[in-house]
Amino acid sequence: MPKDQFKTRLEIAKKISKKNLYDNKNNPSSIGTAFKLSTELVSAVVVGTIIGFIFDKTFGTKPWFILIFFFVGVVAGITNVIRSAKNMQK
Amino acid sequence: MTQFNVHRIGPEIKVGAFDISFTNASLFMIISSVAILLIFSLGSKKNSLLPNKIQLLAELSYTFVSKMISDTAGSKAKPYFAFIFSLFMFVLFCNMFGMIPYTFTVTSHIIVTFVLASFIFIGVTVIGFIKHGFGYLKLFVPSGVPAVLLPLIVVIEIISYLSRPVSLSVRLFANMMAGHTMMKVFGGFVISLGIVGGWLPLSFSVALTGLEILVAFLQAYVFAILTCIYLNDALNLHH
Repeated sequence: MPKDQFKTRLEIAKKISKKNLYDNKNNPSSIGTAFKLSTELVSAVVVGTIIGFIFDKTFGTKPWFILIFFFVGVVAGITNVIRSAKNMQK
Repeated sequence: MTQFNVHRIGPEIKVGAFDISFTNASLFMIISSVAILLIFSLGSKKNSLLPNKIQLLAELSYTFVSKMISDTAGSKAKPYFAFIFSLFMFVLFCNMFGMIPYTFTVTSHIIVTFVLASFIFIGVTVIGFIKHGFGYLKLFVPSGVPAVLLPLIVVIEIISYLSRPVSLSVRLFANMMAGHTMMKVFGGFVISLGIVGGWLPLSFSVALTGLEILVAFLQAYVFAILTCIYLNDALNLHH
């Protein structure tokens, strides 16, 4: 391959890659953030319930802390989902 | 299922009450690390303007991760490039090695992903406290909240912060485990339906293999991008 031909091809490739850098439409992160939502809700509920269980074990107040923290966990999960949905729209 | 069994290779090693023997999980972690090292040492050996395939692979993955970091966490996260890059490569290679028949998928075990996620969680928290001191605790107190609601909001924020490593690890583990189980189930259908009815599940499992390769890549990507997002929260504190 002649050298000047290679140089023009390099110029074209550089231009295309520069254009792609500022063009965020085909970003794979949109699929990534969609996958993120699935476990966001569940994990907060699980963590809340575990915290409630630990409090109940230490204070001996069997059902109450689990009940409270379960619902707090649900709220935290919903905030998580809303927050990541907001991030997606940015 | 036998593909998820962890068994010992070689002699049993015990430190106190802990069993730290060499297992097939450790073997596949070592295989993926060695494969990463090989590809990147071969790829960066000679820097030619016209890259060969291995060099192209190394350069592509480098620009991919570096673009991902600058998009999500900004220029302040540049010093953590090496960490995120190796994390992404490790998860990707573990997922991809799991796609080869008769191999062991390291990331289909929750303990592996949970340890990875807890290291990220602890590391990000430590970085946040180093950069902002006790001002990092402002992450749990959103601005513009009436004082009456503040205790409740703080508890909710703390739970949502603590749920990060759980969601990070469960997502990767569940996706890998579910995919491999599904392939196993469809493979079982092929055997039990025999030569007459087995063609439909066979075509399903071919399609599933393609889907699984996509998921293997995507989950590694999600794992890395969420690390970037958490790092971004720690570095640029604003709510």
